[in-house]
Amino acid sequence: MHPASVQAQDLAGVWYIFGGAALFVAAFVYGLILYSIVRWRERATDTGIPPQFTRNPSIEITGVVIPLIIVIGLFYITYVREGVVDFLKPNPYVTVNVTAYRWSWQFRYAGHPVVVNGNVHSPPTLVLPLGKMTQFNLYSDDVVHAFWIPSFLFKRDANPGIANHFDVTPTQTGLFHGLCAEYCGLDHALMTFNVEVVPVGDFDRWMASGGQANP
Amino acid sequence: MTHWLTSTNHKSIGILYMMTTLLFFGIAGILSLVIRLQLARPDQNIVGPHAYNQIFTLHGTAMIFLVIAPFAFGLGNYLVPLQIGAPDMAYPRLNLFGVYLFMISGFTIFAGVFAQGGAAASGWTAYAPLSTIQAGTGAGQDLWCIGIMLNAIATITVAINFAATILLYRAPGMTMWRMPIFTWEILATALLILMAFPSLSVAMAELLLSRHYGAHFFDPQYGGNVVLYQHLFWFFGHPEVYVMILPYFGVISEVVAVFSQKPLYGYVGMVLSAFAIAGLSMGVWAHHMFTTGVVANGFFSGMSFLIAIPTGVKYWNWIGTMWRGRLRLTTPMLFAIGFLSNFLIGGITGVMVASPPIDYHVEDSYFLIAHFHYTLGGGALFAVFAAVYFWMPKMFGIKLNELLGKINFWLFFIGFNVTFIPWFFMGIEGMPRRVFTYPAMGDLPWLNAVSSVGAGIMTLGVIAFLLNVAFSKLESKVREPLANDPWGGGFSLEWATSCPPPEFNFHALPPIRSERPVWDMMHPELAELRS
Repeated sequence: MHPASVQAQDLAGVWYIFGGAALFVAAFVYGLILYSIVRWRERATDTGIPPQFTRNPSIEITGVVIPLIIVIGLFYITYVREGVVDFLKPNPYVTVNVTAYRWSWQFRYAGHPVVVNGNVHSPPTLVLPLGKMTQFNLYSDDVVHAFWIPSFLFKRDANPGIANHFDVTPTQTGLFHGLCAEYCGLDHALMTFNVEVVPVGDFDRWMASGGQANP
Repeated sequence: MTHWLTSTNHKSIGILYMMTTLLFFGIAGILSLVIRLQLARPDQNIVGPHAYNQIFTLHGTAMIFLVIAPFAFGLGNYLVPLQIGAPDMAYPRLNLFGVYLFMISGFTIFAGVFAQGGAAASGWTAYAPLSTIQAGTGAGQDLWCIGIMLNAIATITVAINFAATILLYRAPGMTMWRMPIFTWEILATALLILMAFPSLSVAMAELLLSRHYGAHFFDPQYGGNVVLYQHLFWFFGHPEVYVMILPYFGVISEVVAVFSQKPLYGYVGMVLSAFAIAGLSMGVWAHHMFTTGVVANGFFSGMSFLIAIPTGVKYWNWIGTMWRGRLRLTTPMLFAIGFLSNFLIGGITGVMVASPPIDYHVEDSYFLIAHFHYTLGGGALFAVFAAVYFWMPKMFGIKLNELLGKINFWLFFIGFNVTFIPWFFMGIEGMPRRVFTYPAMGDLPWLNAVSSVGAGIMTLGVIAFLLNVAFSKLESKVREPLANDPWGGGFSLEWATSCPPPEFNFHALPPIRSERPVWDMMHPELAELRS
């Protein structure tokens, strides 16, 4: 996991905590199951019947309380981090209006005459400034799509008739892969785009050229 | 043949359900092999996008609506009257009507293959407006909507029948708290169906009205809302997940207890957890919609986390049942342990995707579908095999061969994990679900290749199963007829009658003083101590 934005680093933190808890619980339960199989499998020398106990209230209550404590902890982490990531911060450096349509994307940079269009054969490129916050307004022209950049550990649905908003602050330059995650019909698999994160100076020059120059 | 199609006896209806689901399981399995063949390498074109989209739509639809849920209805039909000491289900003719309707629903959905433009191709979830726009979705989508609607009605009839039978048709002495755990889980399932399935019928009706009569429920241009469909669908769809797993929790509880030679540990906790799961599952539907941006993620996340607690109680009790027992590692027991192993991965990753910050990355990715294949394939499907091996002697008087059964188990278990473990990593790397191809990026090519090999190993497991059925059927002809309790150590009343049981199930019933009357009958000295 290589989180490539400020928000992705927050999200990755949740991944690490949940991953650790998952491994711990899995190891504990697998241990109990394997121990039971090895220790108490029937042997040829066994006679009579095993003890017929059916319950043990203190152990049963423990089996409710411990998972409850674990999920309360996980819920607290979820709630706090989700609030941080979903909070729409003011004063973005640039605002990009993204429109999803079958089966490509349009990126319009608000307040600038920069518009990037693509199609299934030549996916569009989304250019973002390094270390600056970009706000996204997400729209769809036809069916439900989803805007996903795996390196940012984040996606959001593009719903016809309902705009969605979120922000991203990239922390690494380079080329990243973006795609539609919500199944949208025939060429859904080809509805991809590129993300190019460049230093602010390069980004400003690219914007000034109307999106024509090489960023 | 006519007998199987016209008898209102619950046992023949149960078998009709199960045979039909095995037919659709075969079709859905072959479709999944085409998927794995297409995805074995990047940028392949064995089937094009149009065919591929129909294939995964039919695979998902068949597994959910025509295999995993209805197999449980068939099994319940067969076992519930036997387990509660009843001669038949409460409404035998409604029962036959239900199984007809279920079969017709399956054939209607698959009839789309012959329609112009092909079968439905908008996924088993059929999100609007993708499923309401006419382009690319012709009569196949209509047949799909009608088939699903019939399926919902069939399911409601079977739920009514289960509830009435369990509440009203129990034998003298069979109090609610002496019912076998499988019957309890079926009762919880029936109540869940009655709450959830009407919403599915409504969603299908609204799709059809939108497609043909200019209704604009989901069309924002006319004031409709696309997310409304998702609410209606998942209000059914999440409870449906538990409709597909609660009966199998019952199967696993029965098998683990019988082959540990101990009563089910924490019986009351098992019953209460089934109803807790059913209740909570009505309030978590929008966790399928975290990325829509328009639902209360915090609430639905918290509710989803809570389901881990009753599910944890079940694991605790299964382990408690094995603890200090005497484990007989028969084929049904192996499949039950396989269930415990696989479903644990499904459950733990379920807690992960219930957290929106994690779901934001993996929603609609291979990580997500790995999660639910671990619950439904690794969970429910392993329980189907456990049930077939465990109750086949009762249903047909045929005990399946243990050696072939173990070969079947190990091939299926290893194949399953080889197929689906890579999906978690593919999803994290950024592979979305429902794509007919993918670029040769990062680890995707070799992970997909490994997954396709796993699918081949699973297929060998299924072949071993079919060989086992054929071989054991031949063998049963030269063998002594089976005793009432062929496994030895059975608990519930189905083991107190012949294999297969007579028309009305019992000539005489043993006294019922606990949740395992047959065991009490075999161990009178211990039964005395308990009462």
